[in-house]
Amino acid sequence: MSGRRVDAKVVLLGQEGVGKSSLVERCAHRRFRPGPYQNTIGAAFVAKVISVGEQTVTLGIWDTAGSERYEAMSRIYYRGARAAVVCYDLTDSSSFQRAKFWVNELQNCEEGCRIYLCGTKSDLLEEDRRKRGVDFHDVQDYADEIKAELFETSSKTGQSVDELFQKVAEDYVHFTAFQVMTEEKGVDLGQRSGAYFYSCCHH
Amino acid sequence: MAADVHKKKGWEVPNGSLAPGDGQHTERSESPTPGLAQGTEPGAGQEGAMFVHTRSYEDLTSPEDGAAAARSPEERRGEPAEPSSMEQISKDFSELSTQLTGMALDLEEEMRQSKEGKLEPSPQTTRRDSVLSGKEEEDVTMDAWRMHRKHVFVLSEAGKPVYSRYGSEEALSSTMGVMMALVSFLEAEKNAIRSIHADGYKVVFVRRSPLVLVAVARTRQSEQEIAHELLYIYYQILSLLTWTQLNHIFQQKQNYDLRRLLAGSERITDNLLDLMAHDPSFLMGAVRCLPLAASVRDAVSTSLQQAKAKSLVFSILLSGNQLVSLVRKKDQFLHPIDLHLLFNLISSSSSFREGEAWTPICLPKFNSSGFFHAHISYLEQEMDLCLLLVSTDREDFFTVSDCKRRFQERLRRRGVHHALQEALRTPFYSVAQVGIPDLRHFIYKSKSSGLFTSPKIEAPYVREEEKERLLGLYQYLHSRAHNSSRPLKNIYFTGPRENLLAWVTSAFELYICYSPLGTKAGAISAVNKLMKWIRKEEDRLFILTPQTY
Repeated sequence: MSGRRVDAKVVLLGQEGVGKSSLVERCAHRRFRPGPYQNTIGAAFVAKVISVGEQTVTLGIWDTAGSERYEAMSRIYYRGARAAVVCYDLTDSSSFQRAKFWVNELQNCEEGCRIYLCGTKSDLLEEDRRKRGVDFHDVQDYADEIKAELFETSSKTGQSVDELFQKVAEDYVHFTAFQVMTEEKGVDLGQRSGAYFYSCCHH
Repeated sequence: MAADVHKKKGWEVPNGSLAPGDGQHTERSESPTPGLAQGTEPGAGQEGAMFVHTRSYEDLTSPEDGAAAARSPEERRGEPAEPSSMEQISKDFSELSTQLTGMALDLEEEMRQSKEGKLEPSPQTTRRDSVLSGKEEEDVTMDAWRMHRKHVFVLSEAGKPVYSRYGSEEALSSTMGVMMALVSFLEAEKNAIRSIHADGYKVVFVRRSPLVLVAVARTRQSEQEIAHELLYIYYQILSLLTWTQLNHIFQQKQNYDLRRLLAGSERITDNLLDLMAHDPSFLMGAVRCLPLAASVRDAVSTSLQQAKAKSLVFSILLSGNQLVSLVRKKDQFLHPIDLHLLFNLISSSSSFREGEAWTPICLPKFNSSGFFHAHISYLEQEMDLCLLLVSTDREDFFTVSDCKRRFQERLRRRGVHHALQEALRTPFYSVAQVGIPDLRHFIYKSKSSGLFTSPKIEAPYVREEEKERLLGLYQYLHSRAHNSSRPLKNIYFTGPRENLLAWVTSAFELYICYSPLGTKAGAISAVNKLMKWIRKEEDRLFILTPQTY
């Protein structure tokens, strides 16, 4: 599933109820909706334009359903993704185990996908530190091990949400530029060198 | 209510005219009389139907559903199936009317007979206390839990709870165990348990391997109708999993806990049950259209039709639980049950209001073995207009998403946006527009198109209980009209608070509710007048020219 109108496909994964949809809501619409929990059905798509330096990047964000029912389907949502935001609830250790599952899944199926670990609901910790169910340093170690970025966000207050998606967009720009360089390192004898630079400037 | 009220209280129609001025209905009879054949009744599509041809309620539940739903209760076998005349029926009903608020006469009769029969009524088993209850869920040991009018339980054949309408499934696991024991006990004797009638309750069982569905109801619905509702719940589960996957799971592991896979869908099922108690669509097995000027609807349908893609099978525009337009692939028909499930899915979740959803969905009546992929989105944030594009290709999101964009563009170009918005402001019409003073409410269904129309429920049916009571009366008439062993064509029903009349022909079904002071003769002339009105308004109330890609 690749769309021409987006630059980078970003997928949100994680156990149900960790707050993936709230994260997207905050990122795309800058708002937070309290009130009854509504589980996502299937997946929801939102396009978000982010500027990186002088460029703009359109992230096509796929907010997937956490329910096990859609697990078999999840591959269609993360296939070809350039970035995956794997979410877990900072107050719920079981949700971190589920995050590890998704990380493994991505490592096995989507090598080119960069992983961003995202601990959600950090505002709950501000109310009461004892609510923390997932140790920061453990996750930091794990993130280093899998070469992932780590963020702790709150969709309610907006803390670190923009930073997270900004980082995703920046990495995309830098990583893509790098990829173009490395991908075309084989010299095509039939191609004139000028064309090479031309394509480079365009990316 | 004065007779001329309707002239003043008309719809706020943008063009100020209710009736179409053109003469495109020359072949359609001006005055619908009892001689109408199917396909010529008011509301009948002029170029074929949109739905799988469901002539009647029985069609919906048979033949593949027949085993459970369209059965004839054994206790009825002895009754003579004489042709019943209008007089006889009205006499029956005036006798019955005094008992209206209590239990229907035939219900008592059924109960008595089933007690004489081999089924041992055991209401206790279904109301047994359980040990634990969920934290947020209702306490199943409380009286309040027992007082619910209709309980619905779904369990696996291993006796594992899958769903309970009220209270947590864990707390009810022993109760469900007993239900399964009842089913198995009778099956051992090569019998099947269908229902238990006792103490004002009906306990109805529907067996759809690998699931068993049970309802415990003290509503006035017939056993057949309760079974029909249970089937909807079964189809709802299939729409999430497909029949193939459901069977595969239980073949692999008989004691699988299906709640794992259904997590998060309880709300959809709850909503379906609530909807069935309020919305006559399910009873009628038909779909209601948003009243809309034919020119506007045609513009919408054409825009929808033009925004096609190879993988699209159905494009559906809906508002609330009313259909605005439906375009389908040639030779592919949607079943009303499938459409009801889609309506329910959308009305039960606010999550579609954000972004564009792309979700696998099985349409069990169309094909229970595979998933379609549905693109679901609202056209505008504040507008209650939801677009549903059903595609066969799960990879086709961006193509389908582009169809939406094209549709919106066409809609804008045709300039019907404003008219559409106007129509959404008055999604229901008032019965006063018909201009029959004693008429309170009606339901009219065109059998060939699978569509029905019905005005807003107004005074005196203001409170929720009153609305439900009215629907209950319709349910009762419907069940009498469609009784599999003694179907009725005309029913005249005199009650203390209202009179009702039901008229079922091969072409249409009409149920009217009017003042208790009205006479039978008055009712019959009202029916004629109403039919003429529906004919006159049919191109607003129905979709007469369904489109294909």
